[in-house]
Amino acid sequence: MSAFAIGLWSFPVLLALIFLRAPIGAAMFLMGMGGLWLITGSPDMALNLLKGESYSTFSSYSLSIIPMFLLMGQFATLSGMSTSLFKAAEGWLGHRKGGVAMASVGACAGFGAICGSSLATAATMGRVALPELKRYGYSGGFSTATLAAGGTLGILIPPSVILVIYAILTEQNIASLFLAAFVPGILAAIGYMLTIAIYVRVNPASAGVKARVPYAERLRALAEIWPVIAVFGLVVGGIYAGWFTPTEGAAVGAAGTGLLALVRGNMTWAMFAQSIIATAMSSAMIFFIILGAKLYNSFLALTQMPQELSLWVVSQGYAPLTVLILILVFYLVMGCLMDSLSMILLTIPIFWPVMAGLDFGLILLLDMQAARLAQGIADGVAMAPDLLAAAQAKLAEGLALTRDEFRALGLRPVTEAMHADFNTTLTAIWFGILVLIVVEVGLITPPVGMNLFIINALDRTTPITATYRAVMWFVTSDLIRVAILVAFPGITLFLLR
Amino acid sequence: MLNVITRSAQVMAMLGGVVLCLLVGMTCVSILGRGLNSLAHGAHLTELAPALAAWLVAHTGPVTGDYELIEAGIAFAVFAFLPICQLRAGHARVDLIAAAMSARFNRILTAFWEGVLAAIIIVIGWRLYLGFLEKLDNGQTTFLLQMPVWWAYGASFLAALVAGLVGVFCAFMRLREVQTGKPHLPKAEGAEH
Repeated sequence: MSAFAIGLWSFPVLLALIFLRAPIGAAMFLMGMGGLWLITGSPDMALNLLKGESYSTFSSYSLSIIPMFLLMGQFATLSGMSTSLFKAAEGWLGHRKGGVAMASVGACAGFGAICGSSLATAATMGRVALPELKRYGYSGGFSTATLAAGGTLGILIPPSVILVIYAILTEQNIASLFLAAFVPGILAAIGYMLTIAIYVRVNPASAGVKARVPYAERLRALAEIWPVIAVFGLVVGGIYAGWFTPTEGAAVGAAGTGLLALVRGNMTWAMFAQSIIATAMSSAMIFFIILGAKLYNSFLALTQMPQELSLWVVSQGYAPLTVLILILVFYLVMGCLMDSLSMILLTIPIFWPVMAGLDFGLILLLDMQAARLAQGIADGVAMAPDLLAAAQAKLAEGLALTRDEFRALGLRPVTEAMHADFNTTLTAIWFGILVLIVVEVGLITPPVGMNLFIINALDRTTPITATYRAVMWFVTSDLIRVAILVAFPGITLFLLR
Repeated sequence: MLNVITRSAQVMAMLGGVVLCLLVGMTCVSILGRGLNSLAHGAHLTELAPALAAWLVAHTGPVTGDYELIEAGIAFAVFAFLPICQLRAGHARVDLIAAAMSARFNRILTAFWEGVLAAIIIVIGWRLYLGFLEKLDNGQTTFLLQMPVWWAYGASFLAALVAGLVGVFCAFMRLREVQTGKPHLPKAEGAEH
C-alpha cells in the first residue's frame, strides 16, 4: 500500500474507532503513532517526536489563549451578569408575543460577548431564563429549545474558543476572524427572534403574556449591563486595535470577569474552586485532542494525503461552490453525532488545503488595484495627471496594471501574487465562519446535541422529544442563514475588505 | 484509595488553576507596564509633565520574559489538569452505539479505552521524562530570563506522573466494574467545551 493510500484509509479507520467510543484524542493519538510506525517501518520516529511534542504543544503561546478564555467564561458565569442581561432584555422585549423567549436569545447574545463557549452560555442562561419562561406560561419544549439555540450564540459571537482553534489550524489572524464573526452572530440572534415570532403565531398556546415595563425601569436595567460592554470592548477591541495579543486579551478578559465576580460578592472559595475545576477539565480535554491531532497530522503530512487530495479535487474541475456545499453538508451530518471541537481538529487539516486550492473570486485584482490608486489620491501622493488618467482608463477597460505602471505613479504595486494571497485569506475567513456556524448547528441537532442535553438536564419536567420537536424551527433558521452567507460572502467579509 | 486519588487529582487541578490565575495577573501587569511606558514616550506626556514621563520611562515597562513565563506556566497547568479530566471521564467521545448495546458490552468497551488512555498518558510521561533528561543534560535556558528549560519540563513530568497513576487507577476500577457489574467510579460528567 502506498503512503497516500495509508493516509486515505486512516480516516475511515479513525472514524470507526471514534464510533466505538474511543476518547477522540486517544483515537487520533493511536492513529498518528500507528500510521507513522507503518510508514517509516519503525516506532522510533514517532517516539522521538513525542519527546518534545507534548511539552511544546502544551506550552504553545498561541494555544495558551484557550485556558484563559475558558477561565474568562467560568468567571463570567459567576459574575451575575447573566441575570442583569436577562432583566435588561426582558424589559425591552418581554411584553411582545414570545417576548420572554426573545429576551432569552438577546441575553444569550450578550453573554456570548464575554464567554467563548456555547455550553457554558446555554447552562448559565438556562439557569436564569428557564424559571422566568415557566412563570410566564411558555411551554416546556419551546423554552428548552430557545435556550439551547440561544446558547450557540456563545460561540458565534466573539470571543470564541472554536474560532481560536480554527485560526491556529489555518494560520489566520484571530482578530480578523473575530471581526468577521460579529455580523453573522448578530444575524443569528435576529434570525432566532424572528423564528420565535413565527413559532408563537403558529402555536399561540406555547407562550403567555407579560406586562409592559415602564421606560424608566428599562433604562435602569440597561445601565446595569455596562460591565459586559466594557469587558467585551476591552478584550475584542483591544485585540483588534493591536493593544495586545489575543492571548493577552484573553488574560484581560479573565481578570475583568474575575474582578466583576469578586466585586459582586459571588466569588467564594467554593465557587472559585468550581470554576478552576471546570476550566481544568475543559482545558485538559481540548489539549489532549490537540496533541492527538498534532500526531495524526504529522502522519498525514508525511503521506502527503491532504495536498494530493486537494490537487485531485482541483483537477476534477468541480465548481468551487459545489465543493463548499458538500463540505458544509458533511459537517451538518457529522454534527448530529460528534462534538464541534473534535470535528474541527479532525477535518480542517484535510479540508482547508482543498478550500485553499479553490478560487471563489472573493476579491478581484482590478478592485484591489483601483483601491490602491484611490488610496494614493487620498494620501496626496504626487502623481503625473496623464499617467493617472491612463491607469484609471485601463482599469475601467478591465485590464490589470503592471508593476512598472504603479512604480511610474510612485505607488507600491499590487501584483497577482498579492491578490492570490488576499483572496486565500478571505476564503479562509469566510470558510471559517461558515464552518463555525454549521458545527454549531450540530450542538442543537438531535440525537447528539450537547446544548439540548445541558438544557434538558435543567428542566426535568420536559421530555427531550418535546425539545427535539421545537428545536427544528431554530435549526431551519440556522440553515437559512448559512444559505444567505454562502450566497453573499460580502456579509461576512465587508468589514475586512 | 478512591479518596487519595480524588484528592491528588483535585490538588493538581487547583495547583494548575493557581498557576493559570498568576499568569493572568502577570499578563495584566505586563500590559499595564507596557502601556504606561509607551504613554511616557508619547508627545503629550513629555510636554505636559516631563518629570513624570521620565520617571515612567525609567520605572515602567512590560514584565521581562512574560511570554516565557506563560509558556512554562501553561505547560505545567495543562499537565496538572489531566488527572481530574481522567478521573471524571471528561475526555470527549461519541456515544452513539451505547444505547444499542448491552450494559456489559458498554462496560467492557469503557474499560478497554480507559486502559488505552492510561497507556497513552504513560507513554507521554515516559517521553516527557526523556525530554526532561535531555534538557537537564544540555542546560538549555530561555532567551530572556535565562531560566533553565528543564524546570518546566520537570514540573510537567511530575504532573504527568500523577496523571499516569490516576489513569492506571481508573482503568483498574473500570475492570472491576466489568467484573461486578456495579459502578466503582463517580458518574461521568464530561467537560464543557
